[in-house]
Amino acid sequence: MAEKLIPITLKVNGKEYKVEVKPNETLLFVLRNKLNIKSVKGTCYRGECGVCTVLLNGKPVKSCLVLAAEADGAEIITLEGLAPFGTLAPIQKAFIEHGAFQCGFCTPGFILTAHWLLTNKPDATEEEIKEVLSGLICRCTGYKQIIEAIKAAAKYYKQDKQKQ
Amino acid sequence: MAASKSVLVFHTLLPEFEYFRPKTLQEALELLDKYKGDARILAGGTDLLVDMRMRIKQPKYVIDIKGIDELHTLKYEEGKGLTIGATVTLDELLNNKIVKEKYYVLWDAIRQLADTHLRMKATLVGNICNASPAADSAPALLVLKAKVNIASVNGTRTVEIKDFFKWVKKTILEPNEMVTSIFIPEPPEGAKGRYLKFVRSAEDLALVGIAALVANPKDPAKRIVRIALSSVAPTPVIVEEVEELFKQDKPLSELAEEAVKLVMSKVSPITDVRATKELREHMVEFGTRYLLKTLLEG
Amino acid sequence: MGTKYVGKPIPRIDIDKVAGDAEYPYDFTLPGMVYAKLVAAPYAHAKILKIKYDEALKVPGVLAVFTGADFPFKVGIYAADRDVLAREKVLYYGHPVAAVVAETLEAAEKAAELIEVEYEPLPPVLDALEALKPDAPLVHEKLHEYKHAPFIYPKPGTNIATHLKLRKGNIEEGFSKADVVVENTYYEPLISQGYLENWVGVARVKSDGTVEIWSSHQSPFAVRNLLATSLGLPIHKVVVHHMYIGGGFGGKAGLLLEHIPVLFSMKLGGRPVRLELNREENYFYMAQRAGYYFKMKTGATKDGKLIAHWGEYILDAGAYADYTVNVARSVGLKPFGPYEIEHVHTDAYAVYTNKIPTTAFRGFGLMELYFASERQMDLLAKKLGMDPVEFRLKNVLIPGKSITHTQERLREDAGDPAGAIKEAAKLIEWGKPPEQPKEPWKFRGKGIAAFWKGPVQPSNAASSAIVKLNDDGSVDVLVGTGEMGQGTITSLAQIVAEELGIPVEKIRISPERRTDMVPYTWQTVGSRGLFSEGQALIRALEDLKSQIKKVAAQVFRVFEDQIEIRDGKACVVGEPWECISLAEMALGYMYPNGNTIGGPLIGRGSHVPVRTSIPDPETGKSVPAPFYTFGAGAVEVEVDLITGRVKVLKAVMVLDTPAINPLLVAGQVYGGTVMGINIGLLEELKFDKNGRLMNPNFTDYKLARAADIPEEMIFKCLGVGQKDAPYGAKGVGELTMLPWPAAIANAIANAIGVELYELPMKPDKIIEEVKKQRPELLEKVREALKVKG
Ligand SMILES: Cc1cc2nc3c(=O)[nH]c(=O)nc-3n(C[C@H](O)[C@H](O)[C@H](O)COP(=O)(O)OP(=O)(O)OC[C@H]3O[C@@H](n4cnc5c(N)ncnc54)[C@H](O)[C@@H]3O)c2cc1C
Ligand code: FES
Ligand code: FES
Repeated sequence: MAEKLIPITLKVNGKEYKVEVKPNETLLFVLRNKLNIKSVKGTCYRGECGVCTVLLNGKPVKSCLVLAAEADGAEIITLEGLAPFGTLAPIQKAFIEHGAFQCGFCTPGFILTAHWLLTNKPDATEEEIKEVLSGLICRCTGYKQIIEAIKAAAKYYKQDKQKQ
Repeated sequence: MAASKSVLVFHTLLPEFEYFRPKTLQEALELLDKYKGDARILAGGTDLLVDMRMRIKQPKYVIDIKGIDELHTLKYEEGKGLTIGATVTLDELLNNKIVKEKYYVLWDAIRQLADTHLRMKATLVGNICNASPAADSAPALLVLKAKVNIASVNGTRTVEIKDFFKWVKKTILEPNEMVTSIFIPEPPEGAKGRYLKFVRSAEDLALVGIAALVANPKDPAKRIVRIALSSVAPTPVIVEEVEELFKQDKPLSELAEEAVKLVMSKVSPITDVRATKELREHMVEFGTRYLLKTLLEG
Repeated sequence: MGTKYVGKPIPRIDIDKVAGDAEYPYDFTLPGMVYAKLVAAPYAHAKILKIKYDEALKVPGVLAVFTGADFPFKVGIYAADRDVLAREKVLYYGHPVAAVVAETLEAAEKAAELIEVEYEPLPPVLDALEALKPDAPLVHEKLHEYKHAPFIYPKPGTNIATHLKLRKGNIEEGFSKADVVVENTYYEPLISQGYLENWVGVARVKSDGTVEIWSSHQSPFAVRNLLATSLGLPIHKVVVHHMYIGGGFGGKAGLLLEHIPVLFSMKLGGRPVRLELNREENYFYMAQRAGYYFKMKTGATKDGKLIAHWGEYILDAGAYADYTVNVARSVGLKPFGPYEIEHVHTDAYAVYTNKIPTTAFRGFGLMELYFASERQMDLLAKKLGMDPVEFRLKNVLIPGKSITHTQERLREDAGDPAGAIKEAAKLIEWGKPPEQPKEPWKFRGKGIAAFWKGPVQPSNAASSAIVKLNDDGSVDVLVGTGEMGQGTITSLAQIVAEELGIPVEKIRISPERRTDMVPYTWQTVGSRGLFSEGQALIRALEDLKSQIKKVAAQVFRVFEDQIEIRDGKACVVGEPWECISLAEMALGYMYPNGNTIGGPLIGRGSHVPVRTSIPDPETGKSVPAPFYTFGAGAVEVEVDLITGRVKVLKAVMVLDTPAINPLLVAGQVYGGTVMGINIGLLEELKFDKNGRLMNPNFTDYKLARAADIPEEMIFKCLGVGQKDAPYGAKGVGELTMLPWPAAIANAIANAIGVELYELPMKPDKIIEEVKKQRPELLEKVREALKVKG
């Protein structure tokens, strides 16, 4: 069977990319291998761990279970897109201050998930934070400092919401 | 995982296939009819893409239905019921007031199904069509007596959810058929429901899942009690005899004891990688007891 | 501490991890790179009759197919028992039998499917106890030919990969004096380290014969030296690049699969070859953690003194025991908790079986051991009618006085074992019964466990460090230790900051280490990083400072001891206005007339463990480690008899050591606690009756999630330091995991009166044992769930 290449457009971190993808290429591999966006990691390729999390049209999804072809026309945010190059968003700073990462392999997925949660629900309770994080795996930190970082960062998102 | 018998190959990449994204249902049905068994519907993909990478499923044609507007219906008609289209995601259902208020048992099941990230993509119809014995939405849909709307180029048909599952990962769908929506009738007046999911950790497939629906427990004439389970048989099951049993005018304490025995006798759990048969039996017994106590007394 | 940086919660310096541009082997590519794919056997034990791969070679893009015959030698670290690809026999289900290399991964995966192998199935041996029986099938018939380290004792003609003896006192005499004895067998299954980054290696060979590899490993120098010895290369021609790695936990110690892409590159004219495992492959092709049987018999006198301990410890090492033989050494040389026992007699065996190969895991066998031995402690206390804390305190090791199991007198400044137990008891409110929940099917209880550990390493495990002063007063630090998340480099930066009086921001420790450009370090394992690297670094800083002082002394015309270094300056003692900045002298101090003295300032320092010795093969008598960290953990648990699940409500951990960085230690404690609890409750590699691993994925190998963690986790460092440790600080990384399975099992016994001897304490097990030991509890729950009306 001849594999047809499918032309797609992706808007990643505000920048538009036109790429040709094979039907069986996942969004994860296209971001990493074709667009060279390496903060998006992969490890289980079966939706369990969430190291491949990206914000797809504003929602956190696991990019190992999204075909690149499905994402045609979508807007995507990865960790690189949270703050201008060389600067850090409040949630990133909170992760540093609270020691919320160790090996760092899971960190992009956690930060993006936290950013989505706090953007939509800056007053999320600890229960809600844990519930949302439970789609992700971190083997290093024991989660406590991640939760603390997210709680601490919430105030910036509340301020943002008030401004709006 | 392995294609040839003599070696194991653990694939990183998906197998090759041709991808279609029809804009209309008719187009989708025609593709399905043309390629029959060689084609697969792609909804959220959270089951399909995993099965494909593991080479459990290797469709030559993948039909992505998310571009079909008419499948994205979520419509409630007072006095009739709720229609959930094939591309409605679990996240949309979780955030829907009607689902939470009127169909709490379903909401309760969806809340516990997979995780936030996956629910952004995964669909209710996909959960049913995948026909895993562990499908969390199935027991809820069974106690709600949902109906499955099916279409093919030859026309449409509707089946009761209890007749939809055939075996582990097998449904009654013909190769050229697909599910267009699920219809859930108005639940019995005053019904309360719960879905109890037994798990190993905060993110898990059901070791055993039990949905219970109870209406008017104190009034034998109007009393309705339904119980359905996942992960205890080759398909999700409803123990239909329970509803009959509770029609009897006997003390609730007696009926509950009989119901527990009935449920136990109608399930056939097995030992697998997730749990032993014995643990599952324990969960069925104590889970049923717990739900009955909570819903009948409360 | 009167310090500015050391002892403070300084944030980690590897902040590129939150920015998104931290680089891991997973992200690493080279131009012209080709892809390797391994294919494996579906038998636990079988003779390879024939391998056919002509069809595979026809797939466009395929460059080569390799089989075991292409690489007729073994590799390994302690016991060289590993084939590159299976030769003659396959030894476990999932054992790689062949490999494809192709221009693309697609082509490699497609071709892999087309390889055909004919086997003659052999009877497998799947259990370590079975493997010890005289008529058991042999996993390695040619064990006598294998090279091994001198302190490893394989028994050719059996499945024994090593046997470690420990003898102290006279065991018969010991038991004759015992008034109470408890004897039990404990079982713990194989488990997985569960780090998130699958193993990746990218290798190339240069025309001058230099081999380069970028891979997921903990210890670049171990990889370098083992590659060189295994492949017969000169050490300086092997260059190992260490990058950030996505977790290791022991699973990436020693040599992993580096030899595979290296050998393939050699065969392909030096083309860069990438071998990247996916999660399933990582379960099958990387080594996991051994399974354990602990047979223990422990005796005490009626006044509560431990008097005798006998044990047979059997490690199910799987098909390759390369590293697990050293883990056997760990439990063999520390066969019981931190208590003094006059008579000890234990034998530890690592045993080959036809299962996945095994290796190190955080804690190096001691979490596993303490599950058994700290259960023994509780069961003895129960028999004696003594409080478990009191019983522990009565027997705990006393620094400066007690003689350890390896007949070493514990150094005076060894730590505070008793203090740790007392503090943990206080924090869990020992003696105050837990408040029982209102649901009558939930039961709460408390449990405690104590522990100790030092690094298990050869007595010459060396470290070194180089510090370079730059011309703006900033500093480059060169060390060989791996950074897998444990945070050693941040702690090292704090030490530099403290010693030179410069802010942490002025210190760079590159995330990349090349073995040809950074100084040697033996391995990054055993929580030794900070202790060993730290001492080497302190010596390097001393060296640098003495050079600084020399220059400054000349400038100010004073003696060197009249110069002090503060805030990045060298000043005359007592005259803080008479200073020159480190920047001014970094590359040589220039007088106004142009005369220059000094020259680029570079400090160097080394460390080897002092006074540690090789254990006596008959008794184990030795000083096995340069330090021990002591501690205790305690929990309050809730057992739910409807779900069978155990929830840890509160976990407290006390460590006797000071912390260089409380924020980092907290991270280690929380991470180790959650990991240890999860191992206690859930983790196991499950094999079917044919030896097939059934859960090579996160769907059924359950790792803890955010909603699974204890409601409360508290920890405390007592700050009792060892004099020769950097700022007194001893290792903590692995220690944080050690007490949990034992403490939880003890708490379950306290909650529901059910004694457990097996891990994991999963719902299946809890319900099964309640049915056996306390069926009346289930009756009670049934009663409570009766519907009224
Ligand atoms: C990590 C993880 C955790 C999970 N946890 C749970 C859990 O806790 N509980 C649970 O029940 N499930 C769980 N799942 C399974 C899965 O997420 C659900 O079954 C989900 O609802 C499937 O929906 P989907 O839209 O993604 O289906 P898809 O993957 O798109 O489709 C599933 C199957 O149904 C077929 N199909 C889909 N739509 C139609 C249609 N309209 N007509 C005919 N056939 C169709 C597809 O061809 C495919 O075979 C989990 C999956 C993952 C990866
Ligand atoms: S790699 Fe996507 S969820 Fe694990
Ligand atoms: S920091 Fe290592 S997995 Fe989360």
